[in-house]
Amino acid sequence: MTLEIDWTRCDGHGLCAELLPERIGRDEWGFPVVNGKSVHPAERKAVRRVVAVCPALALRLTDAP
Amino acid sequence: MTAALDTRPTSSATPTWTIGSARLLAGLDRHQSLDARTHLAIHGALPATDLPKLLGLLEGAGLTGRGGAGFPLAAKLRALRGSRPRVVVNGSESEPASLKDRTLLRRTPHLVLDGALAVASALGARRVTVAVHDPAAAAALRAAAARPDGRRVHVEITGGGFVGGEARALIRGLDGGPALPPGRHEHLTSQGVLVANAETFAQTAVLLRLGGRRFADTGTRAEPGTTLLTIGGAAERPGVVEVPLGTPLGIVLLAARADDPRFVITGGYHGTWLAPQADVPVSRAGLAAVGATLGAGVVLVIDDATCGLGELTRVSRWLASQSAGQCGPCRFGLPALANDVAALQGGYPGGVHDAARHARAVDGRGACSHPDGTARFISSGLALLGDEVALHRRGGCRRPVLGQLPIGDPS
Repeated sequence: MTLEIDWTRCDGHGLCAELLPERIGRDEWGFPVVNGKSVHPAERKAVRRVVAVCPALALRLTDAP
Repeated sequence: MTAALDTRPTSSATPTWTIGSARLLAGLDRHQSLDARTHLAIHGALPATDLPKLLGLLEGAGLTGRGGAGFPLAAKLRALRGSRPRVVVNGSESEPASLKDRTLLRRTPHLVLDGALAVASALGARRVTVAVHDPAAAAALRAAAARPDGRRVHVEITGGGFVGGEARALIRGLDGGPALPPGRHEHLTSQGVLVANAETFAQTAVLLRLGGRRFADTGTRAEPGTTLLTIGGAAERPGVVEVPLGTPLGIVLLAARADDPRFVITGGYHGTWLAPQADVPVSRAGLAAVGATLGAGVVLVIDDATCGLGELTRVSRWLASQSAGQCGPCRFGLPALANDVAALQGGYPGGVHDAARHARAVDGRGACSHPDGTARFISSGLALLGDEVALHRRGGCRRPVLGQLPIGDPS
């Protein structure tokens, strides 16, 4: 699965980076920098949680490889 | 390959000329614009076609989109098969240095309509929408659509800046929404919409008339036929130019009387700066081999009279101003990138690293390719401007900024 960002929605709140710092950093303006879009089955649960808490609904898990 | 130099001047506001024989521009050396009768006299009647025949022709000719992305037209048609799609001609040409689509639409609108109507008939589409920014193009198209088969044609004037011409933004605008690229990546063909560039439809009309074999009389084996270029900058003979695909860049520059090219930009402002290399073939593959793009066919020349870094600063600022502002990395990153280039022009030595960092920070992080294309344009320019950066660090290059790269409304 793949973690995708809808850049038109993302406001750079930064919750995703706080919850999943090993996968998501922030650029100098506060917007997420995802370290590899592909999501390993073992981290799916944690990524789903991040998708759910994004206040801008900017994150999405898709089936794309 | 070698191209015969057969350049033909015209008398219009935007000059047109050709290397080799004119296909899309046929008749424009003698006529300001081609009405229905003149169009038929010059091009002949359009042969009837159907979807299998059209797909065979398009695939045989490898016809790719001429709006910049270069996606094969046949693949778009195949993705639509079975549905009853809308056909949209993208004539918005938001790139300020490009004039080829409005030249076609203003001066030979029937050729574009021939291609669009043939594709629409083959697909069973009821409606053909031609979307343009340019009011003169809209007027010419509306006049041309008075032809007997033109009742399906709807001409729309669409707004929006640089990113408003992006196909998905265009469709949103036509459907009453904001003319902005949507955040989710979905192919238009999956929504039953075929969007292709105006020149792509004109090429299709030429292909239908010539047939595959004659169409491939010129061009390269992989990319048969011709392409339109818009040549500008430090050329004494700028204009909209039809050349066989694969024509050496040196021949094109010679014919455009660009006598002293210091840099050549291909692919417009999402394209690439090149040190002029005479033997590079002007084709998608030929330019890709040197890390450049053909894009929508814009070729700009910069000579020794102007400050290259100043030219890059102007265009960088313009590109930043064209961000729709809906994606954070583009909204903040492009102005930062433009400031880095301006800082280099002002002699600040840290600008090179700042620009490289900001180019990486925006690449691939937006709803459309505006940040990626801008980063590519600026990075490729800075890669060639090392000497000039050093001069500016020591007080300046002493050249004025002449504005050889056009920005703003070209019409």
